[in-house]
Amino acid sequence: MPRILSELRVLELSHRPSGAFCSKLLADQGADTIKVEPPGWGDQSRHEPPFIGGEPHPDRSSTFLAFNTNKRGITLDIEQPEGRNLFLRLAKSADIVVESFPPGQLAEQGIDYATLSAANPGLVLVSIAYFGQDGPYASHRGDDLVAQAMGGYLYAVTGSASMPPMGTALQQMEITAARNGAVAVMAALLRREQSERGAHIDVSTMEAAVSTPSGLIHPFTYTGRNPHRGGSDGNVMDGMHLPTLDGEVTLTTAGTGGRPMQAWAEFLEEPGLLDPRFATRGGRMEHWEDLHALVAPRLAQWTNLDLMRETMARGLVIGLVQTPRQVVESPHLEERGFFVELDHPEAGPMQYPGSGFFIDGENAMAAARPAPRLGEHNVEILGGELGLSLRELGLLRAARVI
Amino acid sequence: MVEKGVLDGVRVLTLEQVHALPWGTGFLADLGADVIRVESPDHLQDRKAGPFPGGKAGEEWWNEAGNLVYYGTRNKRSLCMDVTHPGGKEVFLKLVEKTDIVTDNFRPGTMQRFGFDHESLSAINPRIITLSSTAYGYTGPWRRAGSRARTVDAACGLSYLTGYEGGPSMRASNNYMDHSVGNNVAYALLLALYQRNRTGKGMRIDLTMLETGVTAVGPAILEAQHGITRDRLGCAHWWKAPHNVYPALGDDRWIAIVVSSDEEWERLKIAMGSPDWAGEDRFATVLLRWQNRHALDELLGEWTSRHDDLELAQRLQRQSIAAGSCLTAQDLVNDPHLDARGFLWEFPNPQAPEAGPRVFAGRPFRDPGNPMAITKVAGLGQDNSEILSELAGLSSADIEGLEAEGVIFSAPRPDEPRP
Repeated sequence: MPRILSELRVLELSHRPSGAFCSKLLADQGADTIKVEPPGWGDQSRHEPPFIGGEPHPDRSSTFLAFNTNKRGITLDIEQPEGRNLFLRLAKSADIVVESFPPGQLAEQGIDYATLSAANPGLVLVSIAYFGQDGPYASHRGDDLVAQAMGGYLYAVTGSASMPPMGTALQQMEITAARNGAVAVMAALLRREQSERGAHIDVSTMEAAVSTPSGLIHPFTYTGRNPHRGGSDGNVMDGMHLPTLDGEVTLTTAGTGGRPMQAWAEFLEEPGLLDPRFATRGGRMEHWEDLHALVAPRLAQWTNLDLMRETMARGLVIGLVQTPRQVVESPHLEERGFFVELDHPEAGPMQYPGSGFFIDGENAMAAARPAPRLGEHNVEILGGELGLSLRELGLLRAARVI
Repeated sequence: MVEKGVLDGVRVLTLEQVHALPWGTGFLADLGADVIRVESPDHLQDRKAGPFPGGKAGEEWWNEAGNLVYYGTRNKRSLCMDVTHPGGKEVFLKLVEKTDIVTDNFRPGTMQRFGFDHESLSAINPRIITLSSTAYGYTGPWRRAGSRARTVDAACGLSYLTGYEGGPSMRASNNYMDHSVGNNVAYALLLALYQRNRTGKGMRIDLTMLETGVTAVGPAILEAQHGITRDRLGCAHWWKAPHNVYPALGDDRWIAIVVSSDEEWERLKIAMGSPDWAGEDRFATVLLRWQNRHALDELLGEWTSRHDDLELAQRLQRQSIAAGSCLTAQDLVNDPHLDARGFLWEFPNPQAPEAGPRVFAGRPFRDPGNPMAITKVAGLGQDNSEILSELAGLSSADIEGLEAEGVIFSAPRPDEPRP
């Protein structure tokens, strides 16, 4: 079955994970996605550790490999007139351009939305910037950590109340911005089917961060209280991580019919949990160390997968705190066929995550290709599809355009 | 529902609770779809969850919660109906005939028990798109497990990787995964509508929080297969330094500063007034700064602690250094940038006039062709009559009958406990 976006072409001009992940979401659904990288160096993430195999290599960065599946890759120096012209020729046949330059940089290179739209009125341009395309901070420098800070995430969400602010791992604000960008792209494509007009979409990573942990703005405007980090501090039954035989687990009071301590006392065979001091949430927080001393040794007798199976059977709700390795080896994900093996010529075969949803039981990643090597598709795309001769390609290479 | 939005004419019936799925269908509602939230009179937790004005639930508490405006019933319609009652089930199936999308976030098996599984609905309406949003999916050994967003932060690997430097793993967030899933729900449904425009056929979507979460930690998934482990570093970075959160003047005020190159380090030194310590050899290169980052963080923190974080961030940004305050919700509500961009949406909820107008976070993307705003919020069962007469062809006598029989409701049952 052809994949959903297989009639569409995406050009990605991106040097940030936000843009790379946004176009990956489109590429994974079948869009012919061409990643346009600066000649020689390529996407910045090619050079960021860690590297598969250990040694630095531009085709083996785990971040690059993970966020660039299903794309073809060309190198093009869009700051040179020849490069810019080739980009505009590609843009004529494209449906979507994803970029994550600082605002204004694309215009400086002569490929702003007005130019693109004049060449291709149906084109959808997605610009993802840390602070969006306008406003007082538009020219500010960003970073995932700065977005977590200014998005309220650091102060209010992760971390302990008595410690400095602390963020979540792995550039999640970039990813959240990318997911919002993909929603906006699909809405623009549906509108294009009605009006034949493209769009310029302005995505702000800071705003994606603010809108994401929804416990921020309106809880403050309704109650006058500033949400503060530390929600899992001393929260044995609902947030803390507790050791098991082969990992960690976090419990919840859900699925206990409003009688959490009875249900857990029974499951853990620990009558001490019925102590009236633990009957209310406030009491459990106040006496958390005593509660921890009862619960932790019991949990430590279980392996993760046994604990999951037995709590599930009783309707209790827990979360295994899985290591990435445990995730890759998860029997559950194995049975669902979530991971797909892709063999990259430099990084070798690995299991890659699917898309997060199956349509009619199909994993969209099943027909996937791994991330492109630097300039891997120059000849195929610039030669085969734009019709440049090998001699012309040679000249462009000598002039460092490709 | 926005007048003449891009999804004008698209109808969604959603059996949704808690957070992730309502967040997802909220995007469709903002884009003009007629999203009908089918609510059970026996599960009013979402309407009890608040936040309430001043932290206190009022007389009509079921229509007052801020979460309803932020995602629960914003731009949606509400049909409060017991679909487990034969009369309710019959009405639901009539509505399916005039519906494009049916979504739910029950555990696998519930929709089938109701007779609302994809095959049954598809027999009534072959163009129907169904989406079930669950923690672990319709297949696999964990399919019957319950979840909270934070338990899936844990299961997908994100929480294991999160923590202070040298410390234990910590939960990454309370409900980050709800939003990631909501975004993925919206993306999947828009993809499905796009596909159906081509094929004319409906489809079944099995969307999971676990798998959405795993996509967000993709690099670590690849690394794990080669025995590469990621140490927890708090706000520090694999190779950048300074890259952390530093104390500022005042109680619990902090500033994030990120330096990615020697040039940026030179600019930061100048911004600090070139103190002697910053010129020491041990901080001269990217590698040395990373190796000596603990000393660097402490010295830099001594300097930042003498400054107001908001002023310092502006000053560093003028030197083109990535810096930003750890903003509180109060800071965000008063932020000049968010204000100038029209990101802060004020909405006076007509269903709860006592609550007065309140400010909400807007959408993080702008497309002039697809404008979005909060135009309404549905009170409990507010749209019962309109929906049942327009879409199910019921007379007012039929509707009164359903109300008398206890199939539809426009207020909680009299014995419903207050939040």
